[in-house]
Amino acid sequence: MECRVLSIQSHVVRGYVGNKSATFPLQVLGFEVDSINSVQFSNHTGYAHWKGQVLTAEELNELYEGIKLNKVNHYDYILTGYSRDTSFLEMVVDIIKELKEANPSLVYVCDPVMGDHGAMYVPEYLLPVYRDKVVPLADILTPNQFEAELLTGRKITTEEDAVEVMDLLHKMGPKTVVLTSSDLPSKRGDQFLVALGSQTIVKPDGTNTSQKICIDIPKVDAVFVGTGDLFAALLLAWTHHHPKDLKAACEKTVSVMHHVIKRTITYAHELAGPGKRPSPAQLELRMVQSKADIENPAIVVEAKVLQKSSH
Amino acid sequence: MECRVLSIQSHVVRGYVGNKSATFPLQVLGFEVDSINSVQFSNHTGYAHWKGQVLTAEELNELYEGIKLNKVNHYDYILTGYSRDTSFLEMVVDIIKELKEANPSLVYVCDPVMGDHGAMVRTPPTFQVMDLLHKMGPKTVVLTSSDLPSKRGDQFLVALGSQTIVKPDGTNTSQKICIDIPKVDAVFVGTGDLFAALLLAWTHHHPKDLKAACEKTVSVMHHVIKRTITYAHELAGPGKRPSPAQLELRMVQSKADIENPAIVVEAKVLQKSSH
Repeated sequence: MECRVLSIQSHVVRGYVGNKSATFPLQVLGFEVDSINSVQFSNHTGYAHWKGQVLTAEELNELYEGIKLNKVNHYDYILTGYSRDTSFLEMVVDIIKELKEANPSLVYVCDPVMGDHGAMYVPEYLLPVYRDKVVPLADILTPNQFEAELLTGRKITTEEDAVEVMDLLHKMGPKTVVLTSSDLPSKRGDQFLVALGSQTIVKPDGTNTSQKICIDIPKVDAVFVGTGDLFAALLLAWTHHHPKDLKAACEKTVSVMHHVIKRTITYAHELAGPGKRPSPAQLELRMVQSKADIENPAIVVEAKVLQKSSH
Repeated sequence: MECRVLSIQSHVVRGYVGNKSATFPLQVLGFEVDSINSVQFSNHTGYAHWKGQVLTAEELNELYEGIKLNKVNHYDYILTGYSRDTSFLEMVVDIIKELKEANPSLVYVCDPVMGDHGAMVRTPPTFQVMDLLHKMGPKTVVLTSSDLPSKRGDQFLVALGSQTIVKPDGTNTSQKICIDIPKVDAVFVGTGDLFAALLLAWTHHHPKDLKAACEKTVSVMHHVIKRTITYAHELAGPGKRPSPAQLELRMVQSKADIENPAIVVEAKVLQKSSH
C-alpha cells in the first residue's frame, strides 16, 4: 500500500494528543505519515502545567515551501485537528487547496475542533473560518454534536435532527460525516452514548443517495485527551480500506477506540490505586501497548444502518 | 514492559532522520517514547532544498520545565543524536545530569554525530580507541562503521563493539566483538539514527550480551536498507541514480523486521581482556 498522509497537528513531548495520537496508528497500519507540528508542548493542556512553543502561519508556510521546492508535495490524505489561530487555519486552507490541485483525488479528513458539551474551547472567531473556508474543503468531517450544531446553526435533540444536520453538512462539502458523540438517548440505556454517521454515494444513474448509520458506544467514567485525534486517524485508515462502507469503517474505528480506552482506564486505575481518581498523566492513552488492537481489531460494536434516502 | 525513552533529536516533516527515524521502531518494540524535537525541517538537508526552524536552548529548557513541573521527569533511557549548537548541547547535558539524579539507573545512549569519512593524522589501533572511550565514560561502545579491511573482502565494512562487564570479584573485563556488514552502493540518511535507536532496544533486551544486541541491530538495519534500495531503484528506473526522496528509509514497511528480525549477520567475539 503506497499511501501518504500529511497531518498538521500539535506535538507533545509526553503523551498522546494531536500528531502523537495520530501518527503511530497510521504508521502501524502501513501509511506514510508526513507530519507538520503546529505546536510543540511539554504535554497536553489538561495537566496542572504545560510549556512550549507554537508555529506561526509563516513558519507553516516555510515548511510547506520546502516540501514543494523538492516537488514532493503530493499527498493522498490530509488530516487536521485542533487549532487556535485563524491565520494558521487560513494558511492550512491555502495549502490544502494547492495540494488538491496537485492531486484532485486527495481526501481531506477534518476534525473541526471547537468545543464540547455546549462550550467552545477555541476562540469564537474560528467558527466562521471553519464554516466558510475549512469545511467546504473537507471530504470526511468528524464533528461532535456541539460542533455540528455550531457549523449548521441547528440544534440536535432527536435522531431526525441529527440526520438533518448531517445532510446540511454534506451540502457544505464533506461526503462523509461522523457525529463522534451526541447527547441523544441510546436504546441500550444510559451507560451508552450515540454516535452517527452519514456517507453520500453516487448511484449508477447519477443521483445521490446516503447511507446513515448509528452506533451505541459504551460510556467510560473518565476524561480522556487525544481520543478525538485517535478517532480521526483511525477513521482515515478504515475508510481508506472501506471507502463505500461507512458501517464497516466505523465499527473498526470504534472497536479500536474501545480497546485502547479499556486498556488505558485499567492501567490508570492500577497506577492511581483503589478509590483514587487517576491524574491526567496516568490517563495518557496506552497507545504502543495497543498495537495489536490497532492492526487487527476485534469488532466489539455493531453499527445499525438507519435508512437510505435519495436527495 | 514499562520503559520510557526521552529522545532529543531533529524532526523532519517528510522522511526518516532524527526522531522520525528513532521513534517508530522504539514504539513498535513497546517503548514509550517522549520526544523533544530539536528542529523542525521540511526534510533532511541532503535534498536540493530544505526549510524550517530550530529550537533554542531556552526553548528546550522550557519544554523540560513543563515535564518537570508535572513531576513526570523520570526516564529509563535518553537518546540524542545530531546537534549543531553548543548552547543547545550544553542544555542537553544539564537535563541529562538532572535526569540521572532523578533516576541513577538511567541509560544515556549517545550518538556523537560529528562527521564521517574524514582524514585523521594518526589513529591508535581500534581496540585502544574503544578502551580509551570506556575510560571516558560509556560502558558500551559500538564503532558503527570503519575503514578497516574486512576478512570477507571489499564488499564488506567492519563494525566493532566493546562492553565492559564487572566480574564477580569486582574487576572489570570487556567483551569485544566485530561484525562484517555488507556494503550497499548508496548514500542513506537517517541510518545512524535508526542504528542508535535499535541498539537501545536490543541492549535493553540483552544488557550483558553485546554480541546478540549487535546481531539484531545490524540485521534489522540490513532488512530496512535492502528494502529501501530495492524500492528506490524501482522508483528511479533502470540505470538512474535514485534521488534523496526516493532513498528515504522504508520504515513503516519494515515493521515486521523491526519486531522480529531474521538474524543475517554473525558477530565474532574477539577477546576478553582484563584491565
